[in-house]
Amino acid sequence: MSKSKEEFMKALSEAVVEYDEDACRELSREVLDNPDTLTPYEAVMNGLAAGMEEVGRLYDTQEYFVPEVLMCADALYAGLDILRPHIPKADAEVKAQVVIGSIQGDVHDIGKNLVKMMFDVAGWGVHDLGRDVPLEQFVEKQLDTNSEVVAMSAMMTTTMLGMKKVIAMIKEKNPECLIMLGGAPVTKDIANLFGADGYADSAGNAVSEGIKMIGRLREFQAGKK
Amino acid sequence: MDENKAMVIFQPSGRRGKVPKGINLIEASRLLGVDIEALCGEKKVCGKCIVRIEEGNFEKYGVVSGMKNTSAWQPEVESKFINAENQAKGYRLGCTAKVEGDLLVFVPEESRAGKQVVSKAARDIRIDWNPAVRLYYVQVVKPTFKDCMGDFERICHALAREYGLPEILEVDIKTLQKLPGALRDGNYSVTVSVWNEKEVIRIQPGKVEHAYGIAIDVGTTTVAGYLCDLTSKEVINTASMMNPQCKYGEDVMARITFHMTTPDGLQRMTDDIIEGLNDLIAKAVAETHPPLKKVKKKKGEEGPDEFIEAPEESKTYLRLKTEDIEDITIGGNTAMHHIFLGLDPQFVGLAPFPPVIHHSMDIRARDLGIKVNPSTYVFVLPNEAGFVGADNVGVLICEEPYKSDEIQLIIDIGTNGELVLGNRHKLISSSCATGPALEGAQLSFGMRAAPGAIERIDIEPVTFEVNYKVIGRDAWRKFSEPHEMKAKGICGSGILDVLAELYSSGVITKTGAFNKKLLKDHPRFRKNADTGQPEFILAFKEESSIDKDIVITQKDIRQIQLAKGALHAGCKLMFKRMDIEKADRVKIAGAFGTHVDRTKALTMGLFPDCEIGKIGGVGNAAGDGCRAALLNVKKRMEANWCSRNVEYIELTVEPTFEREFMEAMQLPHMTDQFPHLEGIVLPEILNQGMKDAK
Repeated sequence: MSKSKEEFMKALSEAVVEYDEDACRELSREVLDNPDTLTPYEAVMNGLAAGMEEVGRLYDTQEYFVPEVLMCADALYAGLDILRPHIPKADAEVKAQVVIGSIQGDVHDIGKNLVKMMFDVAGWGVHDLGRDVPLEQFVEKQLDTNSEVVAMSAMMTTTMLGMKKVIAMIKEKNPECLIMLGGAPVTKDIANLFGADGYADSAGNAVSEGIKMIGRLREFQAGKK
Repeated sequence: MDENKAMVIFQPSGRRGKVPKGINLIEASRLLGVDIEALCGEKKVCGKCIVRIEEGNFEKYGVVSGMKNTSAWQPEVESKFINAENQAKGYRLGCTAKVEGDLLVFVPEESRAGKQVVSKAARDIRIDWNPAVRLYYVQVVKPTFKDCMGDFERICHALAREYGLPEILEVDIKTLQKLPGALRDGNYSVTVSVWNEKEVIRIQPGKVEHAYGIAIDVGTTTVAGYLCDLTSKEVINTASMMNPQCKYGEDVMARITFHMTTPDGLQRMTDDIIEGLNDLIAKAVAETHPPLKKVKKKKGEEGPDEFIEAPEESKTYLRLKTEDIEDITIGGNTAMHHIFLGLDPQFVGLAPFPPVIHHSMDIRARDLGIKVNPSTYVFVLPNEAGFVGADNVGVLICEEPYKSDEIQLIIDIGTNGELVLGNRHKLISSSCATGPALEGAQLSFGMRAAPGAIERIDIEPVTFEVNYKVIGRDAWRKFSEPHEMKAKGICGSGILDVLAELYSSGVITKTGAFNKKLLKDHPRFRKNADTGQPEFILAFKEESSIDKDIVITQKDIRQIQLAKGALHAGCKLMFKRMDIEKADRVKIAGAFGTHVDRTKALTMGLFPDCEIGKIGGVGNAAGDGCRAALLNVKKRMEANWCSRNVEYIELTVEPTFEREFMEAMQLPHMTDQFPHLEGIVLPEILNQGMKDAK
């Protein structure tokens, strides 16, 4: 007996939360076998991504920690790799673009990679500059791609100071661009002080912040419909 | 933000929190669990609670602190205890100054109730005697008209003849100035202190048997000094203090940031540490005198207090002066090294983290502002890399893994974790950002090793009953009445215990999350009323002296997991680099190195599986290394060799770092087996799968 649309989405979501890679893979294949029940796009957005939202909530309440979140991410990608090629171009259209990277002098990028993944899942166009990124490169990439958001991470107080410079440089060229900061030494106050538009308060919390951004994106989409 | 509250941060403890405006600093200190001496009970008469208000924008904490954020100076009370000079420096009485805005408050050592337990005690290690400064006693012929050679040449000549020293030695002007007097005071017999068989650094009349030196380990948090007899190798006294730079931030990054954001930041930090070292040396030396006792005043008698010496019976006192310090060795991490020398540390804080200098240095103490014998040299240990500094070199020359066949893994746990792996054939080192969690900072009830700190913990499986021991009381909780415990918080060794015990008793699962199923209605488990976070009570309110339950929160556990994960992942990556499966021996160094329970360290997975008998604490090896360098010049050469021959690896750029780090955060590890824990940890706990953990 085949699953209903709701059952599929619930099962996918749970498989992500339970970091069950095999289940994710299996369910995703099943989704492809049942094109009349739900589309791959629905499976991604309301199944996998919804599960990741729950993971973010569990992280917020400290029930999940970085290892679990990363394993959930593995499960999510296991499903995504199967479903994504089947999403029609129209649906896969890039929602928005983000330039992301760890600031110059900083070689820590676990948190940044998590945030990157969240954007990725949400269907954003992600331009990952990697780590130890020279300040000008953020500006150049933003201009080249005309990305809506620039997300920067710093894990050391010494490197954090570079973000302020980048913000000034970007805002000067493109005042419309939204800037989001994250990383252990960064606080909301510092983000405000530096002139950023958004903030995530640690490597891990960046996950939930990323998820919230998906939420916001969805609200935005819902509002449009 | 709540307008009626202000952020107050106490240093050096690092305790911080929002407190209602209008309360005084003593009340604020109580709310935040800081102990300030207040003998008179805030009646404003004892003057014990002197604290200093720091001025400036402290970006790391996000506060702008200053005198303007306190109530006005009260001359009739405060001037009695604080002179104008100290008033200008920002000193206030804690019971009098009220909080009116954000503050960073420094509590000086003497105002702290509950003095820190010296955890950096010297260990009994074998050091060969070969000091840089040696004493030579010579009698010289009085000058005559026939032989009117200069005083200095006369002495050199005698030294060359009797001891085979080079015919021509150097001499410092400050020593030379004292030479003619000393020579005649001693009736032409003098004791000459010669540094490295090269330079005369002191001349004393007559025969002097002993010379003294001090080895100093400048830690990010604690500074320890070992006053040694250079002739007998004996440790005369150990003195320690909090690093006075703590007020600028707990970790090296915060200090470097302070320098980058404050125009005279580096200068202030350099001045602070030099002043601190002078205090430390003075303190170490002062303790070689009998303690002083206040002379009781007769009724009605006025005037300043007088003191007399009160020597203990059958005890001899060396009665040293700071001028008796003839040699100094100093080691510290690269940032502490740079700040101490006034070298710009900012590039140490930015990838790829190059230090200004690797080599050791001999610098005249007076050029640095250190007040000892004026011609004394300071030997500054060399640096390995940006995050592996002279302190690690100290560990190496103390533990000598380069002389062993066994592959040793040396873990130096401080605010920054440093790892060394290898043997006589190859040595590699790396560092990992453990953060201050393992030392107690940033945890809800973390504290330094002082009376009232929980230092040992046992948790029973099934019942989850907690038994613990606090510093300053020998009896464990089990054998005490609740009110006798007077617990205040948890210190470093207790933190290692707590994670191991929470795990092995089943309170938390392998993932580090509280096992809600088992804990459901347990009286020790609850959700924090303010934060909604789950927490586990270690000591109930009635067992504490701060009128609060002492708890460990889920967030605290996560902090410890991050720190231990970083260390563990570092070890694994180094194993991979050396192409080995395991180390033959694991040595744990650091302030609580001697207090580490090795079984518990393994249970929490601080490092990969290892035979328990092969794990050992080596105490403050960095300090012991400084001491070895003080007493044996060969060690100084070894230090320079080490600093250039240990291959430094930057772990965070290793492609598998992320995966390793993540797996190592779990207890004891996500996937690796720990056969040596069989029989120690219950099998159902040791073998719990990821799914069981949920």
